[in-house]
Amino acid sequence: MHGLFRWSSKWWPGVLPLAVLWVIAAWTSTSPLEADLGVRSTAALKNAVLDKTRIEVDGRDVTLAAEAFSEAGRHAAVDAVATVPGVRLVDDQTRLVPEASPFVWSAERDVVRVILGGNAPLPATRGRLLDGARADLGGVEVVDQMKLSRGAPPRFDDAAMLLIDQIGKLKDGKFIISDTKVSLAGMARDLGGREAIAAALKNLPPGFSVASNEVKAPPYVFQAYKDPVASTLTLSGYVPDNNAHAALAAAAARKFFSEKVVDNLKPSIGAPQGFANAVVPALGALSRLSTGTLVVSDREVKISGDALYEMAAAQIRAALAKDFPLGWLVKAEIAVKPAAAPVDPTVCQQLFSDLLAKGKIRFESGRANIDPDSAGLLDRLVETALRCPTADIEIAGHTDGDGEDASNQALSEKRAQAVLDYLVKAGLPASRFTAMGYGSTQPVASNDTDEGKAQNRRIDFLVR
Amino acid sequence: MAFLATFYWGWLLASLLLGLAMGWVAVVRRGAGVSRMAMRWLAALMVALVAAALARVIPGRPGYWLDLGLVMLAFYLAGCAAGSWLRAKVIARNVPAA
Repeated sequence: MHGLFRWSSKWWPGVLPLAVLWVIAAWTSTSPLEADLGVRSTAALKNAVLDKTRIEVDGRDVTLAAEAFSEAGRHAAVDAVATVPGVRLVDDQTRLVPEASPFVWSAERDVVRVILGGNAPLPATRGRLLDGARADLGGVEVVDQMKLSRGAPPRFDDAAMLLIDQIGKLKDGKFIISDTKVSLAGMARDLGGREAIAAALKNLPPGFSVASNEVKAPPYVFQAYKDPVASTLTLSGYVPDNNAHAALAAAAARKFFSEKVVDNLKPSIGAPQGFANAVVPALGALSRLSTGTLVVSDREVKISGDALYEMAAAQIRAALAKDFPLGWLVKAEIAVKPAAAPVDPTVCQQLFSDLLAKGKIRFESGRANIDPDSAGLLDRLVETALRCPTADIEIAGHTDGDGEDASNQALSEKRAQAVLDYLVKAGLPASRFTAMGYGSTQPVASNDTDEGKAQNRRIDFLVR
Repeated sequence: MAFLATFYWGWLLASLLLGLAMGWVAVVRRGAGVSRMAMRWLAALMVALVAAALARVIPGRPGYWLDLGLVMLAFYLAGCAAGSWLRAKVIARNVPAA
């Protein structure tokens, strides 16, 4: 032992080459060592839930800067790095992500993109929300403006995902979650979208509530266009359901006796209250116009076109003012078609016959009250009568063979008189017309069939 | 330390071999050794450096370099001790024979 101590006093010369070795070792090993520790520290944090993680290695000392989502997560992250073999010291620069109060999250939709903003509780949640938005809106740009914060209410993820699933139903608008209050605003993409969103909101997780739902439905539009040249009535837009569709189509067929009905209607929910009660009288007004357009948008009715004569325009305006359900707004722009050139009485007779061959003046069953559906035909008859001011015209009423002759005779006379009254009310001089009833004495078809009877029940116009 | 030994065993082996050679030579080398007083100062310095390394008071790269230097020095000294002891054995066997 003593020898060892004595020899050791002579070991010092080797320290010089050792120092050289040490310098070379330090020179060559520092950078690889730092890189290796950096890689393994990063790997140690692979499963840690952190944001803005930054690892710096200086020698064997690791500086860990990150935002953690809980105190426990923060300590776990520091411990994970400290236990990496080779790490000497960990400089803990971690902190908790800021707490948001109130915790606000939003999803905003416009024509070309969806912007997710506000706070998200965890990186995984943020990723899931973005993926959900991309999946729901194929092709629409999804912009991430979310920042991570603590303080989310329980089950925030479920609530936000539910709203993300609804964003596709919006044309534009914004969904906001503020703590546990959900607010919605905007315009639904399709009819029924607003209702679908409202229904989905019933599945919000417990604790969440809807503070305001200002999602508007797109206007419920119904359009009808009467084209006198093509002799068509084109219906487009929406009807509430198939029953209403059938009823509307039947009403259109009754009112437009000479036009072909082109039916492009689609059934859709979301009709305003009183839709059918508003559209049917509006179609009645349109049927009395020579050419015209009817647009029903939500509870607003716009009708424009040309009436066949002055008095008809006044009657249509008066009817539009009173025929609609409460809460409906009617805008009528009714002009009067320029009077057609006068014609010879024989031409007049031909025009009457043509009109009455296309459609028949209808009455209430067994009575002499003119069916409002015949207003369009009567207006055309008035217009024709105005074109031959010199002709005297007999209005001839006929019935079918059913019932007693005396009552048929009386009914035919009353019906002819009702038509005469209509013409007089339209501004024609009463002196030019005579109302005659013929009962069932002049059938034009067999009274044995329903079809024949229907043909026999008629009003004829005869120029004398 | 264990990590450093596995990570840079080449440098440590070189230190050990250097120590072995120096120890081997030291036994028969003539010339002045380090004085007793200087040995004490050196020992005190070593204790201070080891204490600094264990307390991890030197930060960053210098701290790493200190660790590396001390480990290499430790291997060097171990090599020296082994070298001197072996050389002393060899001499002790040869003297009676001569």
